[in-house]
Amino acid sequence: MTIKTLHDAPTDDELHAYVDGRLDPARRAAVVAWLEANSERAAQVEGWKRDAERLRVLAANPEHWVPNAALTPAQVRRGLQARRRRRMGIAASWVFAFVIGGGAGWQMRDLHPAPSSLPMADAVAAYRQFAEADAPPMEFDTARADDLQRWLQRHFGEAGRVPDLSQAGYRLMGGRLLSTEQGAAAMLVYQDGSGARVGFYLRPRGRLAGDGQRRDGDLLAQYWSHRGTSFALVSDAADAAARALPRLLENG
Amino acid sequence: MPARLPPLDDETLHALIPRLRRFARSLASDAAAADDLVQTALERALTRGFDVREPAALQAWLFSVLYRAFVDEHRRAVRWKRIARLFSAEDEASPPPPDRVFDARTSLAGFASLTPEQRALLMLVSVEGLAYREAADALGIPVGTVMSRLSRARRALRAMQEETPPTSALKALR
Repeated sequence: MTIKTLHDAPTDDELHAYVDGRLDPARRAAVVAWLEANSERAAQVEGWKRDAERLRVLAANPEHWVPNAALTPAQVRRGLQARRRRRMGIAASWVFAFVIGGGAGWQMRDLHPAPSSLPMADAVAAYRQFAEADAPPMEFDTARADDLQRWLQRHFGEAGRVPDLSQAGYRLMGGRLLSTEQGAAAMLVYQDGSGARVGFYLRPRGRLAGDGQRRDGDLLAQYWSHRGTSFALVSDAADAAARALPRLLENG
Repeated sequence: MPARLPPLDDETLHALIPRLRRFARSLASDAAAADDLVQTALERALTRGFDVREPAALQAWLFSVLYRAFVDEHRRAVRWKRIARLFSAEDEASPPPPDRVFDARTSLAGFASLTPEQRALLMLVSVEGLAYREAADALGIPVGTVMSRLSRARRALRAMQEETPPTSALKALR
């Protein structure tokens, strides 16, 4: 091998580019000359060319293959439209189910007539149903706190976060999703070390006139609104520590 | 304002279908699976639309859509096989399905034994005549990878050719 041929030795990439006819004429001539002097590489490159040619022959004339009627643009378009219609049908049935479900929920609500003229009566009612000690298990227990958080965020945006009340000695026990006249609502239940429970309730703002608090039997509801969301903290009326929580919730 | 892409016109698309079928046949295990791939690619293409100013670019794009569909399908199949194995007592080590079109008997010994990635690349470069850059885009890999994969594919094919000399004359693909 002379100095000259060493200098001209094409790279592997160039040899492939030669096989694929992608070298410029000058470089191509140099590669041809080099291959003439290097028979071993030349044989390999010839083999590559032959293989490529065979592949082309094998794959020639796909337009003569037996046609497949499903593979025309018009047919594919029709298939897509049919699928879209089916999806719409499914979506419609979901909406229907939701309406029926919502209607049933609404009737259930009437079984527990809450004096709706009282502010945040729904919060108190929710507390009685879900936060009392004998309440059924939460649908969002602490293991699914992330799901609860996501759900809240989706429905309440910035206001929809699970407050951390650990500073006041309360830890989250779980949450429940509810349906109200104003829209989706949630009741989060917390408990402190002594077993005292409080319920943090939020729902879209309705006709709630202003912030305040009221007693409802043995319960106290402290309520306030911020932007489009109304909040309530429901606790045992005798639980003095719970009275400080709204301030913590508003600031946190 | 980004204009909505114009819908792909059927005639342009129609003309490219044989080549899409051919590309799919080099990837899929059988003709039916290949045509399913083409259908998926066409669905995706028609749903997304493409700015058809250069027919060559459209073709390369369709190859990439089809290849993407194949990769997705392949992954799903692998995952499914893994799950299925959990439930089956016997240890089935099934070899990859032979490609009957690019069969060893049809004079290009071993093409079917290359990896799908290698087959796809050889088809795009040697048969479809795509430039390296276009092939890289279609397969979603850098040009450097195109070159090294091309080198490995050609050497592998050559090695198998030397092991198994062709037993019949060239046959066009049916």
